[in-house]
Amino acid sequence: MLHALVVSNGIVGLNESYVSNELVDYRIEVITADFDPDLSGLDLLIVPNGSDHVAMLKIKDQVAAFLDQGNTVCCFCGWFTNWVPGNQWIHDNRKATKDVFLSVRTDRYGLFDGLDLDKFNYNNGITGWWACGYIKASPGADVVLEDTWHRPIMVLDEMTTNGLMILTASGPVGDYRRRPGNDDGIAGLNQHILQLAAQRKETHETNRIGV
Amino acid sequence: MKQIGLVFNGVWSQYAFATAPKYREIYELVYVHELDHEKIQHLKALVIPFQSNQEALVRRKDALYRFLGDDKKIAVFGDSLPLWLDAQWEDRPVNNYWWVKDPNNPPISETNYEHPVYQGLKPRHACWHIHGVYTRIPENSEVIQRNDKGEIITWQTDRYGGVLFASTLDPIVEHGIQQIRHLDNYVDKLTAWLGGVRPEGAFGVDREAYGIAELPTEASRLALRSG
Repeated sequence: MLHALVVSNGIVGLNESYVSNELVDYRIEVITADFDPDLSGLDLLIVPNGSDHVAMLKIKDQVAAFLDQGNTVCCFCGWFTNWVPGNQWIHDNRKATKDVFLSVRTDRYGLFDGLDLDKFNYNNGITGWWACGYIKASPGADVVLEDTWHRPIMVLDEMTTNGLMILTASGPVGDYRRRPGNDDGIAGLNQHILQLAAQRKETHETNRIGV
Repeated sequence: MKQIGLVFNGVWSQYAFATAPKYREIYELVYVHELDHEKIQHLKALVIPFQSNQEALVRRKDALYRFLGDDKKIAVFGDSLPLWLDAQWEDRPVNNYWWVKDPNNPPISETNYEHPVYQGLKPRHACWHIHGVYTRIPENSEVIQRNDKGEIITWQTDRYGGVLFASTLDPIVEHGIQQIRHLDNYVDKLTAWLGGVRPEGAFGVDREAYGIAELPTEASRLALRSG
């Protein structure tokens, strides 16, 4: 069982996308003026779409320490502050979003296996809906998804820290299984990410026992 | 001197809007968790955008109504809570693809084009998509936009001193995202009405504004001090 903290900005609809299940126990923590979450005992930190990156900047050091303990951080939002180690999201409107088409570049853990990439490229016939801008990826990080101009849109980074970072250029990811047709779309990607975080936790704990 | 405060809860699209060269000399980011009378008293108007932290706004209610009491304007977009806004917002499915599937049936069917924000706008510029409706608004408020069921989308009242304008449209967040490319029309009218100055030019992104290591509100204060 994964223990995850979801950072909440009090935005409508967020709680329905992160409901605890057999794989993960979610704790949702709403940001306040004194935001200082306790990350001890957690395996996974999720920063969903619509998050407060001023508040995240305030806990930058805690996030770095959490990763150095071998844990996983997922950011599915545009982080304009520099709280994510080694990687930076940058907004850009020089390319029209309607011209954005995503493709898989390096997917060593099969995060997109069995998924329909068209679910990320089209929404009711509209293109360029899922992500905005691009990621300036850390050297050595995997670019899982790239856009039409080969810019990183989804990054998997287990090189910059001792932990795992899964980052999207603001593309939302959550448990959207209740929405029809999502099992091979965003909800499927969410499941694959959770499974990877769970495998990583298991390996981490086995190694610790071995030591 | 910046004229309009953008109540900001750290969301990237709000930040992208307020730091865009076209708007950054007009809008000042006001971090919602630091909002008080002192931080906003020099401003002519406030915008509370979609994707705001509603619980935080409840805690800042007194400062907001004191601002209105000083005969100033506040524009609220998207959802709201009756704990700070005396109205009832209700969620509805977001239809942001009507222009592809059913272009003759937009989510707003009635607009008062005499209102300064809407004067001269084409229907397409006055409506892109909505986030819910209002089922109750303060007595004697003026309704500005409705959907085809007669539900209220946009309204305003002067009962608190200045003008409180509310709409379930989301112009600031969508303009910051830049997927919809015609929002200059709406936002520039809104800006002129709120702040008395009409922005010029096209929306651009300052890439130097990304990857910052200090709070933007602090940076704004330092810039003001050095200026």
